[in-house]
Amino acid sequence: MQSWRRKSVWLALSASWLLLVLLGGFSLLRLALPPRPRPRAPQGWPRWLDADLLQSFSQPGELPEDAAQPPRAPHGGSCNWGSCFDTSKCRGDGLKVFVYPAAGPISETHRKILASIEDSRFHTFSPAGACLLLLLSLDAQTGECSSMPLQWNRGRNHLVLRLHPASCPRTFQLGQAMVAEASPTVDSFRAGFDVALPFLPEAHPLRGGAPGQLRQHSPQRGVALLALEEERGGWRTAGSNSSACPWDGRCEQDPGPGQTQRWEMLPNATFCLISGHRPQAASRFLQALQAGCIPVLLSPRWELPFSEVIDWTKAAIIADERLLLQVLAALQEMSPAQVLALRQQTQFLWDAYFSSVEKVIHTTLEVIQDRIFGTSAHPSLLWNSPPGALLALSTFSTSPQDFPFYHLQQGSRPEGRFSALIWVGASGQPPLKLIQAVAGSQHCAQILVLWSNERPLPSRWTETAVPLTVIDGCRKVSDRFFPYSTIRTDAILSLDARSSLSTSEVDFAFVVWQSFPERMVGFLTSSHFWDEAHGGWGYTAERTNEFSMVLTMAAFYHRYYHTLFTHSLPKALRTLADEAPTCVDVLMNFLVAAVTKLPPIKVPYGKQRQEAAPLVPGGPDTGPKLQAPDPNCINQIAAAFGHMPLRSSRLRLDPVLFKDPVSVQRKKYRSLEKP
Amino acid sequence: MCASVKYNIRGPALIPRMKTKHRIYYITLFSIVLLGLIATGMFQFWPHSIESSNDWNVEKRSVRDVPVVRLPADSPIPERGDLSCRMHTCFDVYRCGFNPKNKIKVYIYALKKYVDDFGVPVSNTISREYNELLTAISDSDYYTDDISRACLFVPSIDVLNQNTLRIKETAQALAQLSRWDRGTNHLLFNMLPGGPPDYNTALDVPRDRALLAGGGFSTWTYRQGYDVSIPVYSPLSAEVDLPEKGPGPRRYFLLSSQVGLHPEYREDVEALQVKHGESVLVLDKCTNLSEGVLSVRKRCHKHQVFDYPQVLQEATFCVVLRGAQLGQAVLSDVLQAGCVPVVIADSYILPFSEVLDWKRASVVVPEEKMSDVYSILQSIPQRQIEEMQRQVRARRENWLAWGSQAWVTQKTGPSRNQPLIINDRIYPYAAISYEEWNDPPAVKWGSVSNPLFLPLIPPQSQGFTAIVLTYDRVESLFRVITEVSKVPSLSKLLVVWNNQNKNPPEDSLWPKIRVPLKVVRTAENKLSNRFFPYDEIETEAVLAIDDDIIMLTSDELQFGYEVWREFPDRLVGYPGRLHLWDHEMNKWKYESEWTNEVSMVLTGAAFYHKYFNYLYTYKMPGDIKNWVDAHMNCEDIAMNFLVANVTGKAVIKVTPRKKFKCPECTAIDGLSLDQTHMVERSECINKFASVFGTMPLKVVEHRADPVLYKDDFPEKLKSFPNIGSL
Repeated sequence: MQSWRRKSVWLALSASWLLLVLLGGFSLLRLALPPRPRPRAPQGWPRWLDADLLQSFSQPGELPEDAAQPPRAPHGGSCNWGSCFDTSKCRGDGLKVFVYPAAGPISETHRKILASIEDSRFHTFSPAGACLLLLLSLDAQTGECSSMPLQWNRGRNHLVLRLHPASCPRTFQLGQAMVAEASPTVDSFRAGFDVALPFLPEAHPLRGGAPGQLRQHSPQRGVALLALEEERGGWRTAGSNSSACPWDGRCEQDPGPGQTQRWEMLPNATFCLISGHRPQAASRFLQALQAGCIPVLLSPRWELPFSEVIDWTKAAIIADERLLLQVLAALQEMSPAQVLALRQQTQFLWDAYFSSVEKVIHTTLEVIQDRIFGTSAHPSLLWNSPPGALLALSTFSTSPQDFPFYHLQQGSRPEGRFSALIWVGASGQPPLKLIQAVAGSQHCAQILVLWSNERPLPSRWTETAVPLTVIDGCRKVSDRFFPYSTIRTDAILSLDARSSLSTSEVDFAFVVWQSFPERMVGFLTSSHFWDEAHGGWGYTAERTNEFSMVLTMAAFYHRYYHTLFTHSLPKALRTLADEAPTCVDVLMNFLVAAVTKLPPIKVPYGKQRQEAAPLVPGGPDTGPKLQAPDPNCINQIAAAFGHMPLRSSRLRLDPVLFKDPVSVQRKKYRSLEKP
Repeated sequence: MCASVKYNIRGPALIPRMKTKHRIYYITLFSIVLLGLIATGMFQFWPHSIESSNDWNVEKRSVRDVPVVRLPADSPIPERGDLSCRMHTCFDVYRCGFNPKNKIKVYIYALKKYVDDFGVPVSNTISREYNELLTAISDSDYYTDDISRACLFVPSIDVLNQNTLRIKETAQALAQLSRWDRGTNHLLFNMLPGGPPDYNTALDVPRDRALLAGGGFSTWTYRQGYDVSIPVYSPLSAEVDLPEKGPGPRRYFLLSSQVGLHPEYREDVEALQVKHGESVLVLDKCTNLSEGVLSVRKRCHKHQVFDYPQVLQEATFCVVLRGAQLGQAVLSDVLQAGCVPVVIADSYILPFSEVLDWKRASVVVPEEKMSDVYSILQSIPQRQIEEMQRQVRARRENWLAWGSQAWVTQKTGPSRNQPLIINDRIYPYAAISYEEWNDPPAVKWGSVSNPLFLPLIPPQSQGFTAIVLTYDRVESLFRVITEVSKVPSLSKLLVVWNNQNKNPPEDSLWPKIRVPLKVVRTAENKLSNRFFPYDEIETEAVLAIDDDIIMLTSDELQFGYEVWREFPDRLVGYPGRLHLWDHEMNKWKYESEWTNEVSMVLTGAAFYHKYFNYLYTYKMPGDIKNWVDAHMNCEDIAMNFLVANVTGKAVIKVTPRKKFKCPECTAIDGLSLDQTHMVERSECINKFASVFGTMPLKVVEHRADPVLYKDDFPEKLKSFPNIGSL
């Protein structure tokens, strides 16, 4: 027992001593050896012992209080917005622009620009009433250099427009005039005062313009990663696995199969490498935008177009040319999400601001108007997300939630109620039955009757659960789309007195509209087609397998489209609608399609068989204002838009259980199915 | 120590003889051993602690003990600042090298005291603010203490206030810095530039190519894309902790709180007060304060005394007028108080204007228009004012918190911004977006940025790729392949063979179809294999289809593809399902009954964009993907959640309800639509909702049918006649 205990004690003792020796030995060894440089934590800025005693960099009382003369910034010959532009002339109507008439014969570009300004809502014929005077200074070759105009006034409130950088020799001092120039150099550009324009090719279309080349959201598989500019104006693509080699030119000697290809016009690649100097780089930049090829700009020494309002970091990569290899590596590693976003943004920007001369000019004026408006200018979101600032008028609102386009980005929802706007045309019968049906909808907030005929207003209307307002309109058809201040809801149900709808049709259509607040949701449709025989557009209200327009005599849409219709459409188009009333439907559909780039939405219309006939334009008992489809109208409108914005849809949105073989009692919108 | 070891080795022989004392002896022995162990243990850690405490000593120096550098009177002076400097001309990016984290490295020179030939100091060694600023940089990820790896150099010479330094000598001090090299890649911080009488708007110290982070730049001195505009620090608002105020109307509409305004401007603002009465408050210095009251904290209007900066919280708008200098410390006070600044300083470059959108958080009025300020502000709608107040608050919290805490914690605060802005210039592809800089957190939380935001209708010619997930039901699979191959727009068929124990049938046995058919064998039997972004998928549209869905007609599938083209950012599917809130159980419930609403479509037969495959595989939040694979269920619900969450949009259910042969039981053969199944699916919804932190699914009451569906119209003229028949 004892020996066992002793043994174990000794065992424990010797074990612990062994441990001691081992540990001690190591320590001694470590002492003997010179200390190895250990990876140390970075030594930061010292924490001073007397940090709390340090003095502040300035004492509040010490700030200079009395400068001798009124503090004014030195002008030094250069201008900025505050000092060189007189906004007092722009009160009231906002921006009004006067264009100096050309002295001699004018070039094609010049004519296009003049036309686009004269068509715009900014134009005025009187230089005295204008807030901005615009001077076109174009190519020196055509001998168009302007001399100093009459109302020059040292250039105050003047904008000198130069579409091409190598323009006129300066025949006079610019003075206080702003310069809108195609891709100006960063050194001469005065930010916030001058406007940077894109470098437009000679043949740039006046209106509409070629749409972007992007046909799908994500890059096609197998498409080249990089496109490089060629000497003679073409593009060369490089395979994705040889991203670095095209730069030093060695690949050209060894073009593998499909490695390098020539592209005459537009690049077909994910990224377009653009270096070099303007104007070449600037025109390449525009080509890349159109092609949906993400521009990779290497140290551009020129100002990007409309950089004051466009956030180019969302659509292009501006990199340092000295870090080329790093840039190429970064491009290859770029996440699909980033590529997707950049590509789509290039297309949006191209379509919104660059595809036609008209858009470029209007954008220029819009930029200047935003400066004048100050706090009520477009917020950045409106400039940088579809449909763009030209189509989202800041005069309507500056809160993105008020528009139909930004609900997702803002995390908001359209209002849950609508206003019914009933137009009483020639028939002059108070639409009592229709009012009752619409007022029966739980979503209806108010009913407005637009009395637009010769007969006197009836003094008595039916009792309704919702407020009813009667507006005595003029006799013009375009009045139907006037932004009446009495309309208080986001959604408008536009109706004709002769329309006939049931309450559940209205309810269902409105619920659908809430999912698509930027589109028109209608019951009756027509579709457009290309008429080979006449070489023009035509449209028909016949029932077909697809449609591209909904009739506004029964349709839901956002009230913003009233503002857009009245304030952004050229006057000529609205007059056209007044003269040929069937046109108004076409015009409204063109407008909404041009904004959304999507087709309208059709919902089921129950009473189609019995009562559809009087509703369809061209039906038997239509009044004098409803005529058969007028191909002239659609062609005129298409010409004014410069392109065909209408898109066709092949679907109709029905209630989920529509005509399904289940008990009618289970269906929410059962009355839609009654024969 | 060695001796004691020897002694103890011999020791054991003695112990048996010392019976009476052996207990004590053992105890002593053990204590020695224990002590030795402790000592050795200590030794193990001792050198380290000695070293670190040395470091500690090094750091805990006094500012007064820093080395003194004597500057000879004839030492070189740098050139004046070069106004044409840009990043690509004056900045040496090669020093920034390639960093995988896309992050520049900043070096701070050690603090020294500079004196001239006569021993007179050139400037105050360092101010409290500059010390805090350097501390913040040093604590950030950008800091490096290795001068050879640095891309940006920050001199410790304090030039925050030009009036406290001698210009020529400071410039000489800069020029002798070890890596000065004409100031390339050097960053100077200055808040109060210029001196009497003309008050330049940028630091007058010659600095050659150095970048300047300055408070009070004007458009004439600011080098766009090179310099950084910073706010002027206000010691007052750092000392006073102001409570947060929600947006809404305040007691005063417009407030002017600045002292020492130029008489001309004071006249102008006082005229405003006379004209608009109570709603405008114009304050000035107090003249009749008793001794001992801090005069900088008080403002007076006639004989009324107000606490400053607290009074700023009482106003909707606060005037920030230029003084001799453009940048005014009052801007910091105003922002801190949550008052919307009205900046009246022509040509002033607002702080961080390169990235911050000041239009959303301030009103800029030209000096010329000062008399109209009131009417300009009145014309701003109340909603926009509230939005501005929210922006001001967010700005205060995120970027301009000038309280001393923020200086040090460096998570927020301006000292973080300067390296960031420069970092973004060098690595633009890793830059922070406009929204991240400017959107308040509330908007960020609720907003959705749809990855497929461009309104596009993809061309029909592209077609779609059908992906059939299969395990071993070969016969049924072949039938599905034959059926699907009849769809005109099908461009490729991909069979995902999920059975590792069995080889797919031989090539000759597969049905002959007109489009390429490809079989992909997977490494593991996982449900997520269905959503893998296979290289073989060349079209944007993908049709996911189970190997037992044989009841869909060619018309129905073709129509489904047409619908997808009109809604390429949504899930377009056939059988629809709904989620409901169970009020009794207080959780979500899965519903497959015939309801009037849908919020999900089953991916047993659904079209979607192939980008969602990428998202599902690589960007699915939390552990959902593994959870799905482990439970062998709910991959379709996960996909519905993912798409709804990223696009903010509802699904589209196509065509009328059909009798599907239990489309949900793909994983486990023979499991019927019974109670346990529904419970499991409900669990999935609750699990996913908790991972996403929200319920992203959107409920709609519509489905898509062909335009003429069930219309009284000749069937043979309809594009898709064969729809809805059982």
